Amino acid sequence: MNSAEQEAGEVARGLRRRDPTLIDYLIEQYQYRLFRYLLMLTGNREEAEDLFQETWIRVLEKGHQYKRRWKFETWLFSIARHLAIDFRRRRQPQSLDAMLQPAGTNRPLELEDNASPSAFEQAFQGEEGASVSTALAHLPPSYREVLTLRFHEDMQLEEIAQVVDSPLSTVKSRLYRGLAMLREWLKDIYV
Amino acid sequence: MSEDMHERALRLIDKMQVEGLTAEERDELEAHLETCVHCQKRARETELALRTLRSALPRFDVRLVLKTQMRARLRAREIVENAGRMRALWVSCALSWVLGVVSAPLLWQGFEWIGHRWAVSRAVWVTGFALAWVAPAVVAAAVIAWQQASRAMTSDE
Repeated sequence: MNSAEQEAGEVARGLRRRDPTLIDYLIEQYQYRLFRYLLMLTGNREEAEDLFQETWIRVLEKGHQYKRRWKFETWLFSIARHLAIDFRRRRQPQSLDAMLQPAGTNRPLELEDNASPSAFEQAFQGEEGASVSTALAHLPPSYREVLTLRFHEDMQLEEIAQVVDSPLSTVKSRLYRGLAMLREWLKDIYV
Repeated sequence: MSEDMHERALRLIDKMQVEGLTAEERDELEAHLETCVHCQKRARETELALRTLRSALPRFDVRLVLKTQMRARLRAREIVENAGRMRALWVSCALSWVLGVVSAPLLWQGFEWIGHRWAVSRAVWVTGFALAWVAPAVVAAAVIAWQQASRAMTSDE
């Protein structure tokens, strides 16, 4: 058994026991990454903060379902994603069919975009932060999501597909389109 | 270089970032980039875009971590306490079932005696026996259902 598997095993055992020390450690360990993912997903700082807390409560409640063969961050981001979608569904009720298959496509469950440049400007710091805020605000959330999982989290494409619950081909096409859009926006900003 | 080669090089620039390249594809792209200014520019723009994305640091309030840790600790305690209560409930249900089974013949005889003594029809005293026998289970089920409903309400809030 390698060290990653051993660590996953310890996490699984700790989550089953609802070990508060382990939960504290996990929150500290993944604080920044989870918050960044939620921010990219929702485009809203307050919502990301609420979802951050709810995600850890859900991790605690569903901890007994975590299997050591899963990568913890993949499981964590999946939980966060489902919560974000539930949160939006409660706030903006619409038919489940419409959310599952918007406008005659076969796209899976997605978030609606309500991000604005100002939301990202509040969230990102520095000069580069301002540029990236403008670019990110113009990307659909499903593109922002895969870009952050690939280029911030360095996740494999298969892991991203697992988190976003979509086929690999969809993930790839979102990454290519997202990268092209990001490049276009940043190119204009730097020119 | 033909137009197709440029198109292919542009595709490979993106593929390098998204999926990664094979050794042959990497050699092919590098050879092309050595001579093509247009594709070099695209490669630089792509790297710049990703560097900017990676370097953008969201502001993070550490108080959020402390608040979350506090909430998680309280919830963990609540879950453990609830689990203890549920265990006690299941044990008492099991004991009550065993006692019910063991005492069923006595209870039957008791209802039969009352039926004869007060000249009540068999259907009435058998129904009385059945109700008395299932009453503890019905009460326990009602308590469990009530607990689950109140827990669901609390988590919704």
